[in-house]
Amino acid sequence: MPASDIVGRARGRVPTGLLLVAPPVALVCWMIIWPIFSAIARTLWLPDPEGGRQLSVATYTFFFTDSYSLNNLAITLWTTGVCAAFLLPICLSIALYLRFADGKLAAYVQGLAIFPMFVPSIILSYALIRVLGPNGTVDLLLNSVGLPKINTPYLTPWGPVIGLVWDNIPITVLILLSGLGAVSDQSIEAARDVGANRRSVFWHIILPRITNSILVAISFTVLGIFSAFTLPYVLGPAAPEMMGPFMQRTFRDLNDPTTAITQAVITFCFCIAFGIFYVRSVAKNRKA
Amino acid sequence: MAVLDIRDVSKTFGSVHAVQRFNLTVADGELVCLLGPSGSGKSTLLRMIGGFETASGGQITIDGEHVTRIPPEKRPTGMVFQSHALWTHMNVFRNLAFGLKLRRLPRDEIRRRVEAVLDQVGLAGYGQRMTHQLSGGQQQRVALARSLVLEPKILLLDEPFASLDQHLRERLREEVRDLQQRLGITTLFVTHGQDEALALADRIVVMRDGRTEQIDPPDMVYRAPATPFVAGFIGSMNLIDGAVQNGAFHHAGFTLAVPVADGPAILAVRPEALDIVQASAAGAAHVHRVTDFGAHAIVDIELGDGVRLKSQVPDARLWKAGMAIDLQPRAFAVYRDDVAIHRADRA
Amino acid sequence: MDRPRTDWTGIAFATALTLLIVFPLLVVATWAFTNVWRYPSVIPQEFGLRYWHAVLGRADVWTSITTSLTLATVVTLISAAICLPAAYAFARLEFPGRNILFFSFLAGHAFPKFGLLVAIAGIFLNLGLIGTFWGVVLIQLVGTLLFMIWIPVAAFQSVDRRMEESARDVGASPLRVFWSITLPQAGPTIAAALLLSFVGTFYETEGAWLIGAPQVRTLPVLMISFINNQPVIQFGAVLSVLLWVPSFIALLFARRVIGSGSFARGFGG
Repeated sequence: MPASDIVGRARGRVPTGLLLVAPPVALVCWMIIWPIFSAIARTLWLPDPEGGRQLSVATYTFFFTDSYSLNNLAITLWTTGVCAAFLLPICLSIALYLRFADGKLAAYVQGLAIFPMFVPSIILSYALIRVLGPNGTVDLLLNSVGLPKINTPYLTPWGPVIGLVWDNIPITVLILLSGLGAVSDQSIEAARDVGANRRSVFWHIILPRITNSILVAISFTVLGIFSAFTLPYVLGPAAPEMMGPFMQRTFRDLNDPTTAITQAVITFCFCIAFGIFYVRSVAKNRKA
Repeated sequence: MAVLDIRDVSKTFGSVHAVQRFNLTVADGELVCLLGPSGSGKSTLLRMIGGFETASGGQITIDGEHVTRIPPEKRPTGMVFQSHALWTHMNVFRNLAFGLKLRRLPRDEIRRRVEAVLDQVGLAGYGQRMTHQLSGGQQQRVALARSLVLEPKILLLDEPFASLDQHLRERLREEVRDLQQRLGITTLFVTHGQDEALALADRIVVMRDGRTEQIDPPDMVYRAPATPFVAGFIGSMNLIDGAVQNGAFHHAGFTLAVPVADGPAILAVRPEALDIVQASAAGAAHVHRVTDFGAHAIVDIELGDGVRLKSQVPDARLWKAGMAIDLQPRAFAVYRDDVAIHRADRA
Repeated sequence: MDRPRTDWTGIAFATALTLLIVFPLLVVATWAFTNVWRYPSVIPQEFGLRYWHAVLGRADVWTSITTSLTLATVVTLISAAICLPAAYAFARLEFPGRNILFFSFLAGHAFPKFGLLVAIAGIFLNLGLIGTFWGVVLIQLVGTLLFMIWIPVAAFQSVDRRMEESARDVGASPLRVFWSITLPQAGPTIAAALLLSFVGTFYETEGAWLIGAPQVRTLPVLMISFINNQPVIQFGAVLSVLLWVPSFIALLFARRVIGSGSFARGFGG
């Protein structure tokens, strides 16, 4: 047993370590754990006419019967699915390339793939409006060669999709690359040695080893898209809107915190499996 | 029945010449060890034979068939990797069966062959184990079995026992030797351990900086090293830099009659071939330290200019630090310009 | 001699990514230095710094810059004050519940962030913290906890214990060891974590918008209102360059110190 601990007990005091970690842990309890429980509690124990509170699922019933709310949830789920469908193949091919290539070109590709991590989404939103918006750069270029303008994705559901894919490329590539790093060169060479071609190597050797990383990447994407605010707020349509802007509007513009928190709890429920899986993988990685 | 022939094979990585115009023919059923320090190009050479690197020049043929440009999955070679490289997401059976499945063999045939090979490597009944449930030695046996089950024409082993402890290494070494002789499979074995090479090989190829220093049976490599490098690399060897003048080798008061022309030379004497006698007068050297190993003793000798030599003597008690001595090499070689120009053995 | 094969896949990826990732940002940069650019000209009619003068002459821009800088400084200082001692404790001391407390900082990451922000905002509403500077400070502080603890813990752990022990051996007190051995060794990584915290707070949009706006306007919040309400395109472009370039350089530096590997591992790859 370490000396500090023994000393701490011998004097009948709280160990120094606990004192040192107390402030941030208290902050986590107050600002994360407590709000979550409080959110569930205050959306289930609603004020009743007599001035007390009683158990009620009224706000949830409202959400799941209100077609506007349901549309917003649907567009969020749709965006999540579409983004994942774009992100996985794009990022997996980039990550596979980076895993097996080296040299200056590969370094350049890796640099570019990670670059969006350093671009705040608000600047990205602005850039995409300038490029893809009405009379944006793409329109300019098309016009200059005599082609018609594009159907701009700005203010349609595709606007947030483009932005979110752009924004999520770095982290997805990094997660997949880190998973691919665990597949040793030799185990791939051993497979080729026994006669596996590129496809069999990918299918039988690489893919089974990175399933976990793929699930982590998907979880991260799901969590990110369910909580996306800036990109859908700036690039997306006014209605239906994704959960992020929807919650913000309900909370600030409609001044209806209880409904907003109900919406938040619903996003928690949709993400809980992914969230737990993601946090568990991070924790496991950290231990190793 | 397979003969491996390597002609003028080179490999460059950028400006680095990893292997330079390498030539070797491995006879059917022969076990050849590629021995050299790290960076000598031995692994690169093995990887070119396996198809994991493409030769920059030259030709590799297996049974007369050119394989130089053929990808590894189409070559009749089986490679055992240093880190065993087992597929950790598959159990032992599936590790072995993978290659057979790719060849679309019938299920029964696969089962029969996998079980036969597992039996050969002493792992019968281990098929359903996951690889992480095996010990290091067992994992390396599975890796060997995985290569053997495809009945390759050439077996390639890339320092397969490097990660195992001494005791296990020696046992596996014998097992591999037995198995190789039983199957009569042509084998190339890369190692940087001279013991391993001396114990296993029919012939040893000593490599340095991508070139061959010597290709010979183990006893020849030990007894008649072709170059000072081989002399120093295999076993323990005293190498003395000096010059020959009027038929005698000179170094700091030490002289030895050698029948070679005048000029610079390196004298190579193994400790067990370097006898020492108590000097009547000043002597060419003195005893620096005596280390007693029981069965024999090593005497550290210091020459007049501080150069240290070792001599193996039967009895430690005859020697004391500071004692003036003369040196009497029983067997030695003289090298000049990297070539042996004289050998003597007065045994 | 074999010539290295042309890396067509690499060229394809490099071209596609350059087009999709660098090009939009270049367009913004061009707009920032443009005085006149009317449709349908492919290049601007007139380059110049006119809008830089205009933007830097606006009072709301200067208020936002001051707010953002103050906010980032305050958050980083508080975060360092509470997180660094905790990180040292996690790395070097034994105490009951060490593991569970260490992983408790992950709790926030199991939930969609914006939902969590709304839940926190619900509590802030009762406390009267909505629309206040300290409300925004608190929300940003929570955001910095995870990496301000985890990265320094890794840094402290990577300091070889024997180095500290040999310092004790030659007669240094524990505090002296920390000051002269541990801190200098872990210093660069911790500096990078501080930088991340500063830049992260500077960038952060969602929390600032939900908790702070419209009373507390950080630069990104101002940027949103420019996008929504400002017909002059160049204002947003100039603000983008202003907001992004310094922080980008800082982030590049931080990433070099921390390394992309641990970046990814931190995200659970």
